[in-house]
Amino acid sequence: MSFNIIGKKIPKKDAPFKVTGQALYIDDVELPGMLYGKILYSKYPHARILHIDTSKAEKLPGVKAVITAKDFPPHFRIGFMKDNPPLKGTKVLSTRDEIAAVCAISPEIAEEALDLISVEYEVLQGIFDPLVAMREDAPILHEEVGSNILKLPWRLVCGDVEKAKKESAYVVEDTFTTQWVTHCCLATSGCVAYFDVNNNLTMYSNTQIPSLAQNEFLEALTALGLRNRRVRIIQVTIGGGFGSKLDTYPYEYIAILLALKTRKPVKIVFSRDEEFFATSPRQCTITKISQGCDRDGRLTFREVEMILDNGAYTSWGATTPSVMMMPISSLYRVPNVKYTATCVYTNNTYCQAMRGYGNPQATFAIESSLDHLAEESGIDPYDLRIINANEPGEITPQGFRVTTCGLKECIEEVAKRLNWKEKRGRGLKKRGVGIASLIHVGGGARVYKSDGCGTIIKMDDFGKVDVFTGASDIGQGADTVIAQIVAEELGVPVEDVNVIHNDTDICPWDVGVHASRTTFVAGNSALFAAKKIKKKLLEILSKLLEVPPEDVAIKNGIAFSKSDPQKSIPLARALRRIHFTTGGSMLMAEHFYDPQNENLNKEFRGNLSAAYAYGTHGVEVEVDTETGKVKILKYVAAHDVGRAINPLLLEGQIYGGVLQGIGYALSEKMIYDNGYLKNGNFLDYKILTVRDVPPVEIVIIETNEEAGPFGAKGIGEPGLVPTAPAIANAIYDAVGVRIRDLPITPEKVLKALKEKNKG
Amino acid sequence: MKRFDYHVPQSIEEALNLFKSLGDAIYIAGGTDVMVNIKRKKISPKNLISLRNITALKVIEKGKELKIGSCVTHEQLLKDKYIEKYYTALHDAVRKLGSKQIRNVATIGGNICNAAPSADTACPLLVFDTKVLIRNEKGERKIPLHDFFLGPYSVSKDEGEIVTGFEITFLPPYSGSAYIKHSRREAMDLAIVSVATRLTLSPEVDIDFLKREAGEKTYSEFESRLLSYGITVKEARIAMGVVAPRPLRAKEAEDYLCGKRLTDEAIREASEIASSVAKPRDTLRGEAWYRREMVKVLTRRAILLSAKRAFD
Amino acid sequence: MKREIKFKLNGEEVTAEVESHWTLLYFLREVLKLKGTKEGCGYGECGACTVVIDKMAVNSCLFPVMEVNGKDVLTIEGISGPGEALHPLQKAFIEEGAVQCGFCTPGMIMSAYALFEEKKNPDDEDIKEAIEGNLCRCTGYVKIIDAINAAKRGK
Repeated sequence: MSFNIIGKKIPKKDAPFKVTGQALYIDDVELPGMLYGKILYSKYPHARILHIDTSKAEKLPGVKAVITAKDFPPHFRIGFMKDNPPLKGTKVLSTRDEIAAVCAISPEIAEEALDLISVEYEVLQGIFDPLVAMREDAPILHEEVGSNILKLPWRLVCGDVEKAKKESAYVVEDTFTTQWVTHCCLATSGCVAYFDVNNNLTMYSNTQIPSLAQNEFLEALTALGLRNRRVRIIQVTIGGGFGSKLDTYPYEYIAILLALKTRKPVKIVFSRDEEFFATSPRQCTITKISQGCDRDGRLTFREVEMILDNGAYTSWGATTPSVMMMPISSLYRVPNVKYTATCVYTNNTYCQAMRGYGNPQATFAIESSLDHLAEESGIDPYDLRIINANEPGEITPQGFRVTTCGLKECIEEVAKRLNWKEKRGRGLKKRGVGIASLIHVGGGARVYKSDGCGTIIKMDDFGKVDVFTGASDIGQGADTVIAQIVAEELGVPVEDVNVIHNDTDICPWDVGVHASRTTFVAGNSALFAAKKIKKKLLEILSKLLEVPPEDVAIKNGIAFSKSDPQKSIPLARALRRIHFTTGGSMLMAEHFYDPQNENLNKEFRGNLSAAYAYGTHGVEVEVDTETGKVKILKYVAAHDVGRAINPLLLEGQIYGGVLQGIGYALSEKMIYDNGYLKNGNFLDYKILTVRDVPPVEIVIIETNEEAGPFGAKGIGEPGLVPTAPAIANAIYDAVGVRIRDLPITPEKVLKALKEKNKG
Repeated sequence: MKRFDYHVPQSIEEALNLFKSLGDAIYIAGGTDVMVNIKRKKISPKNLISLRNITALKVIEKGKELKIGSCVTHEQLLKDKYIEKYYTALHDAVRKLGSKQIRNVATIGGNICNAAPSADTACPLLVFDTKVLIRNEKGERKIPLHDFFLGPYSVSKDEGEIVTGFEITFLPPYSGSAYIKHSRREAMDLAIVSVATRLTLSPEVDIDFLKREAGEKTYSEFESRLLSYGITVKEARIAMGVVAPRPLRAKEAEDYLCGKRLTDEAIREASEIASSVAKPRDTLRGEAWYRREMVKVLTRRAILLSAKRAFD
Repeated sequence: MKREIKFKLNGEEVTAEVESHWTLLYFLREVLKLKGTKEGCGYGECGACTVVIDKMAVNSCLFPVMEVNGKDVLTIEGISGPGEALHPLQKAFIEEGAVQCGFCTPGMIMSAYALFEEKKNPDDEDIKEAIEGNLCRCTGYVKIIDAINAAKRGK
């Protein structure tokens, strides 16, 4: 199949605005009369609030409103389990708990006002370890829940693990732990809320879930006594997402209430300090994993028990085990699977979605353990993976229907480019190689009632196309990919397609930019809408050109007869002809696409995604055995993407994912000490710089997924999923120590080397 | 941010007078520490007196001694070929200090006066026996850098006094130096631990022969031979960062090495001594045991590098 | 304390009354409403606020506005020509896919701009040195290096 626009390196549509400084991010929004909101956070991780005195703050000139929990309806809660009051009135459960907020005519005055609020606390013993929180005698953090263990019992059982374990020739068991890491979007979180004269709310927002946020803010308005109002979400240019904006947060409700009180636009934008301590990181996990294989290396079972530190409240992130199940049940063919996960309340920061949504934590355990199994069984780690690689047509124990699957090709390509056979197991010069693979949802993920996205298309008198999509752009390039898909289908230049994606008043519903779903779901939605408008267009053109519709083709904005190319008409002229005539018409079409995937049932089974993405990463490292430092000499990332709609943007997703993954593996960690974040700045929380970038080679495997738009599957998250285990496996190959706790710091490597040399 | 007034004197005298008349004031040079401290509400001065428009403070003088003005930026130092050739440890230090944007404004005087235990220029200046030049109303005084550091973020200087520069003795022939910063990231990072060394060697073998060897052979080959030549150490300096409240000289290790033949064994022993002198703490940036261990490794590596550079 | 300063901003002479405690970033964004320069951290640790002063890249979030007196300041708004005439760096960032969320982009481009002021023909090492203080969370930097190299060739 040959394409005009699909598969081309088309620059990102909004890049010109971004390179000139014209793109408006949340901090750039200014509205007439706008006020600035600031939030007072708790001094303690666990305490009763005895008294809050805001009187001094209220008297400060320039302060327009001060609010506390009393200003919200008493039982109003937000979050996935509705356990989080936007302002805390009686008890605080973490150091990021919001106690009061002010708005003033300048950010400086608002900040000064915060210093004037006095809060009396009765400090309580905090619980910072999920294992301690699970003990029977542990104090209960949420009295209304009655237990520190969330009522979210994740449990997947496929086949008979006990039996398979007994029958396995080789069995390994390990425990792996992962740390908190945070998104570090370069633009901090924020919003501007304002009410019009009819009490309808407009939110300038960074959200990744405009439609769900609209719904949640409507609920809030109802709770505040404003029934039957409208909420309009306008997304500004979003300065990084990575899952951080996949929920609504207290600061947004605080801005709404301040705006309601003052009848003025209220802006809250986080400082970098706040961005570190008051946004929600990736969950830290404790994972006990056991897997086995027979004499020929065929996997027999996989058993995983996981404990997740939920933190003080519950966001959507508490559902990450639903995605962790995916690699646990379906990465490589494994007939018997058991997985349980327990989410536990603690007085730590509460966790949220982050690129990969649980998959990196699970894959770190699975792929590290798999190398252990390879060693135990004496089978080369490469062979073990090839023997068990998933294949097209397979139905996995969890019920995933694998359509396209390029896992084998990914493993083979990576091994070839790493020179695996030559390099592996030599330990020469303290160098080693390692690989790890991934499975991820590549055709949406049905985690909500709908996994759909709507598109409206119109064509104007000049042959230009406006596409109104529910999709969100967080820098990944939805704006461009959707334009390409529509342009390809309609036969118009990609510059002629304008994608509008940032306003719930104009754009149709979408569940949000997450789960690597936008190219697949929003792309399909746009494609089907384009097909509809094209059908109408061809009918009109067939009349104008006086040829049958099937003889009409459009290329570069010109319609012509395929059999007699002399007969042609520019699209713009054709559109004007049918518009400016008695009983004229203009071309419009819409489509709502909801993929054929399934919600997981009560047993956590079901075909979660309409297609699955695969990939393998390989890495060659050199370990400095005197310092424990790990240097990456070469990195290969192979991904089955279905089809590369835009290789330029696709590579960008992989390069970016890989570097985030390397940070996760080697350098990033939020250090909490009894509930207090100790390294909430870019100097001490170490996201990687340009100096830390290793040579990365990208391999794109195209398997042409039938259900995807022009064959495409998702690629937003996979780039960082197998990074940490690939590196850990390479370190083991180089120097014979296995680090089971992320990040793999020089200290840990050196300590392990010393222990190994002792024994 | 707290309000302050900002003054831009054109001479040292004007700056000293301003300080006297203003009372509540602090000096600011590149501002990369002062501005951060103000923003983080660690300090709230009513007046800032900028030193960066005083031309006299911005020069590197290469006379009998090397004199570096306090407001010389790290970028200026980095680009200085003379410093790169003769005071290589200092070049090493500024190369990995902060970022380009920071180096463009941050000054050596600021780095030293801020006196962070991790200050990158501190260890190199220590191994060059640097003296701090300080001006006050009465005139100029001069103190060894080693005595200038009192503790973390604390120096031996009255608030109104101005550090005008650093005086570095001219190094004898066959001197070489190195600074190794051990950090997690390759840029924009603070040292977990750092070591600077300077050796002045007194070779008893044919210099030209050694030089030819250095030129012809790869570094590792030369390095392996270097220790078999029986070169005597005439003078040794070892300074360590982030292992004590202030940048620290490992004098015991220096004394041990002085007069010894430069052998693998001697270097290892000196590194062990340096490590035993270090008194690091557990902090979120690094654990004490690891820092002590790294002093050993980095000292050995820095000595070898210094020795090699002595023949460059 | 109000003070008067005179300096050159994006090629034009500016005389302005400023508060002496302002940073250059505050003055640019909040007073002059030049929103192209971004604040990513406020502590000189991310480079999003990079501007070029007297041909050198500087973090404007730590730069006292009083220090720009008499200097030549260039921001992202000042490097392109009139109309659609983008600077070669801007074009290259677009074409090479160096822009994702774009928040680091203005600072990144200004750092690269300063590099070209210093070196006509920078190599990869020079490029890395020039942007080592500019954090990017989206791109993994690879395409940013590509873009700066492409701009070098296109100049």
